Amino acid sequence: MPSLAVSRSAEEPLTPQKRRLRSNSTAAPETPIYAPTKRKSPRRCLDSTPSSHPNFSTRNDSIEPISNSSKSPAEELSDDFSEILNWNPRDASQISAVKEALHVSTAPPTIVCREEEQRRVFDFCRACVEKEQSGSLYVCGCPGTGKSLSMEKVSNKLIEWARDGGFDPPEVLSINCTALTSSSQIFGKIVENGYVKVKGTGAPLQHLQNLYSQKQQSSSSKMLLIIADELDYLITKDRAVLHDLFMLTTLPFSRCILIGIANAIDLADRFLPKLQSVNCKPLVVTYRAYSKDQILRILQERLMVLPHVVFHPQALELCARKVAAASGDMRKALSVCRSAVEVLEAEVRDSRNNMDSDTQENSVVKIDHMAAALSKAFRTPVIDTIQSLPQHQQIILCSAVKFFRGGKKDTIVGELNKSYVETCKSRMIPPVGISEFLSMCRVLNDQGLVKLGQSRGDDKLKRVTLTVDEADINFALQGVRFFRTCLQ
Amino acid sequence: MAVQSHARDAQNLLRSRLCNPSFVFKALSGSPDSNYSKLKFILSSSVTEACNNSLLLLGPRGSGKTAVLELVLNDLLEEYPDMISVIRLNGLLHNDDNCAFKEISRQLCMEHHLLFSKMASFDDNSQFLIAMLRECGLAHKTIVFVLEEFDLFAQGKQRLLYSLLDAMQSITSQAAVIGISCRLDADQLLEKRVRSRFSHRKLLFLPPSTEIIERLLQHILLLPMDSTLPNDYATQFNTKLESVLADERFKEILKNYLSSSSTINHLLRFLFVAVSSIDVKSGYPSLDNFKTALSSFRRQPKQECIKDCSILELYILTCIRRLESKEQKSYNFNSVMKEYKSIHDQFQTSDDYARNVCLRAFERLLQRDLICFSDNRGQGQSVEFRPVKCLISHFELQEGIKAYRSCPIILTKLLDR
Repeated sequence: MPSLAVSRSAEEPLTPQKRRLRSNSTAAPETPIYAPTKRKSPRRCLDSTPSSHPNFSTRNDSIEPISNSSKSPAEELSDDFSEILNWNPRDASQISAVKEALHVSTAPPTIVCREEEQRRVFDFCRACVEKEQSGSLYVCGCPGTGKSLSMEKVSNKLIEWARDGGFDPPEVLSINCTALTSSSQIFGKIVENGYVKVKGTGAPLQHLQNLYSQKQQSSSSKMLLIIADELDYLITKDRAVLHDLFMLTTLPFSRCILIGIANAIDLADRFLPKLQSVNCKPLVVTYRAYSKDQILRILQERLMVLPHVVFHPQALELCARKVAAASGDMRKALSVCRSAVEVLEAEVRDSRNNMDSDTQENSVVKIDHMAAALSKAFRTPVIDTIQSLPQHQQIILCSAVKFFRGGKKDTIVGELNKSYVETCKSRMIPPVGISEFLSMCRVLNDQGLVKLGQSRGDDKLKRVTLTVDEADINFALQGVRFFRTCLQ
Repeated sequence: MAVQSHARDAQNLLRSRLCNPSFVFKALSGSPDSNYSKLKFILSSSVTEACNNSLLLLGPRGSGKTAVLELVLNDLLEEYPDMISVIRLNGLLHNDDNCAFKEISRQLCMEHHLLFSKMASFDDNSQFLIAMLRECGLAHKTIVFVLEEFDLFAQGKQRLLYSLLDAMQSITSQAAVIGISCRLDADQLLEKRVRSRFSHRKLLFLPPSTEIIERLLQHILLLPMDSTLPNDYATQFNTKLESVLADERFKEILKNYLSSSSTINHLLRFLFVAVSSIDVKSGYPSLDNFKTALSSFRRQPKQECIKDCSILELYILTCIRRLESKEQKSYNFNSVMKEYKSIHDQFQTSDDYARNVCLRAFERLLQRDLICFSDNRGQGQSVEFRPVKCLISHFELQEGIKAYRSCPIILTKLLDR
C-alpha cells in the first residue's frame, strides 16, 4: 500500500490505465472497512451504533504522511504506535469488535495462504464444466486448515466464472455427511433436492446409475457439483456407498463433479482401490497444516479490518509459533488470540478497580497476556487437580506409583489397600477403613486418574490401573516434603 | 420449653439451608476470581456481544459445577429476560444421537410454544434445530446448551457434539455450549474434528481452600437476625457457634474429616449430621455435635461386626488368617479344624470345643458375611467341604481384636506371628 500511494502522488498526469490503478488502490483499503458492517447485519451487538467506529476515515489519511517521509522502520513502527494508539481497552464496543474480528465464524472476504490449492480445485472444476465431463476430487487435511471454507469460495467463484463465460452454471449441492442417518441416504439427498429429475419411485442409487448410463434426451440438464463434507462418515464395512458414489462420476453420461472432503490422506487409496482399475482415481489435493508464517499472515489479515493496533507484533508471533508447532490448526490460533484479549480485559478491569489513572501501557495485548492465554489453552488440568486433592487421595496415588514401579501395570484393590496402609503407617498417619478407601478409589476413577475395572463379587477384587503418568504425579507433589520422601 | 422449640426451628432453618445448593454457592460468588464470576463473564459476553462460546466445567463430583451454572443462568435470566433459552441434556439419558436430537426439539418446542410431534425423524429434528438456531440468531436470542456428563456424549460417533459445535461456527447462529464433566481428560475423548471446533476453555472446580471453608461455615451456620427466631436466642446461638468454630479441636476435626474427600458436597453432609445432632434440650450447638458427626462418617462396619462375635468365632477367624499367611490359597472347614486342633495341641488353651459346636460357629460367620464361599459350585456338598475365603482384612481383624472387651491374649499373639 505505501508504494501505491507513492506512485499516486508522483504520477500526476493520469492516463486511463493509471486512473484504474488509482481506483484500484482506493478500492483495496475500502473493502476491509466495508466488510465488517456488512458482516454485522445478521447480528447486532447490544451497544453498538453505526457511529461506533469513528476512526475508519482517519486511518487512510494518517497512513500517507508516515509512508511518504523517509524514516527508519523502527521509527516508523513507533510512530505507528504513537499515532494509532488510540485503542481503548475500556471501551466495550471496541473490545467486542476485536473479538468479532477474531471469531471463527466471521469468514474473511478473501482467503489468504490457500491460493495454490484453491487454484488447483478451480482449474479442475473449470475443465470439467468446459468439457461437460464428470470428475472426482478428494480434498484432505487436518482439521482447521480451511478446507470447507475454501470449497465454498471455489464454488461461488465457479458459478461467477460460468455466468461470465457464457457456460451453464452448475448446481451446487453441499452435504455434510454427519447429518445422514444412514450412509446410503446420500443418494436420496442428491435425488430429492430436485437437481436430478427422476421419474417414478425406487432406489435412488439405481435411478442415478440408470440416468447416467443413458444419453440424456434433453441437453438442458445442468452439471451438478456435489461437495461432500466429512466423507469418512460414509465408510461402511463393505465400503459400498463410498465406492458407488465415486463410481457415479465414471459412468459414461455422468454429469456430476464430486468433491469429497475428509481428514485422512489415504482415504482414496485405502477405500477406493477399484477405481484404480477403472483408471478413475480422484485427484487428491492436500491441505497442509498451517506454518508459522501462514498463521501470522492470516491473523494480520483479520486484524487489518480494525482501525487500531490491538496486538503487539511479538505476541502474534509467539501465538503463531506455538500453534504451528502444536497442530497448525487455525481455529486454535484464533481462540488463543481471543482469550488473550480477555486476559487483557480482565487486567484492565482489575487495574481500574485498583487505581483510576489511565495508563497507556495497558493498551495492547503484549507477550505476557499471550503467554497466559497459551498456557491456559495448552495445559492439562491434571497437575492442578493432583495438587489440590485431599491428603489421603494423594497418598493413594503415591502408593500406586510405588507399587507399579516394579514393572507391574495393574493390580487389585486389595493389594493397593495393603500398600496404602503400609505407606500410611510408615508416615504415622492413621489409614482410613476399606469402605472409605473404596469410595476414594471410585472418586479417583471418576476423575480419570485411575481406572477401576469391573468385578462381579467382592469389591476388593476390582482391577486398578494408573492412567496418569508417574512423572506428572512426581511433578505435582514434589513441593510437599512428605510425598517427596514417599516417592523416593 | 421456649428454648426447645427455638432450637427445633433453628435446626429446620439450618437443614433447609444445607439442602439448598443455590444458597450455599451464593457465598462463593462474591470474589472476582471465583468460577462464578468467570462463568458469568463468558456467558454474558456471549449474550451481549453475540459471539459463540463453548466451554467445559471440570471437577470431582459434588464440587458444585451444576449448582454454580444454575446460579449464573438464573442471574442472567433475570438480567436479560427473553434473550436466553436453555436446553439441558444429560449424557446418561440422551446418549444416543436420535434421542438427543428428539429431546432438543422437544425442549425448543416447549420454550417457543410450538407443537412437537413424536413421529419426527432424525432428519426432521436436525433440520428443525438448524432452522431454530438461525431464527434465534436473527431475533438475537441466545440458546445455551448445557450438556451434563459430557464424557458420555463422547462415546460413539459424536454426531451430536459435531452438529452443535459446527452450528456454532456459522455466523447466523447465536449459541453457547457448556459441558459439565467429572473426567479431567474429557476433551481428549473428543474426535479431532470435534476437538478442533471446541474452544478449549476449561473452568476447573478445585476443592475450596481453608478461608473459603471458613467463609462458607459462617454463611451457612450463623442464624440471620431477621428470621422468625427471637433476637436474643439467635445472638446466643451465634456466639456459641462462633466459639465452637474458633476452637482448635474443631479445626482438627474438620481437617481430619476433609483429609479423605474435600468437596463441598462432602462438607455439607458433615454439617447436616452435626446440625441434626444438636441437643434440643440445651438448645445450642457444641463441639460434641461435630465429634459425633465425624465418628458417624468414620464407621468401620466389619470391625464393628467383630465386636459382636463370640470367642470361638474369633478363634476360627484367626485360624483362617494363619492359613492365609501360610500361603494356602484355598481352605475349607476341615482345614480350619486341623489348624484349630494344632493350636490347641501347641498351647493347651481352655477353649477347646467339639466339632459340631465349631461348625455352628462357622455357619454363623458365613451368615454374618465375614467369610463367604469362594465359588458358587458345589452347592450340593455340605458346608464342611466347600472352600471359603475371608472377607475381612488382616488389619481390620487386628484392630477389632484389640478393641474386643475380654479377648484372650493368645489370639493377639497368634495373629501377630
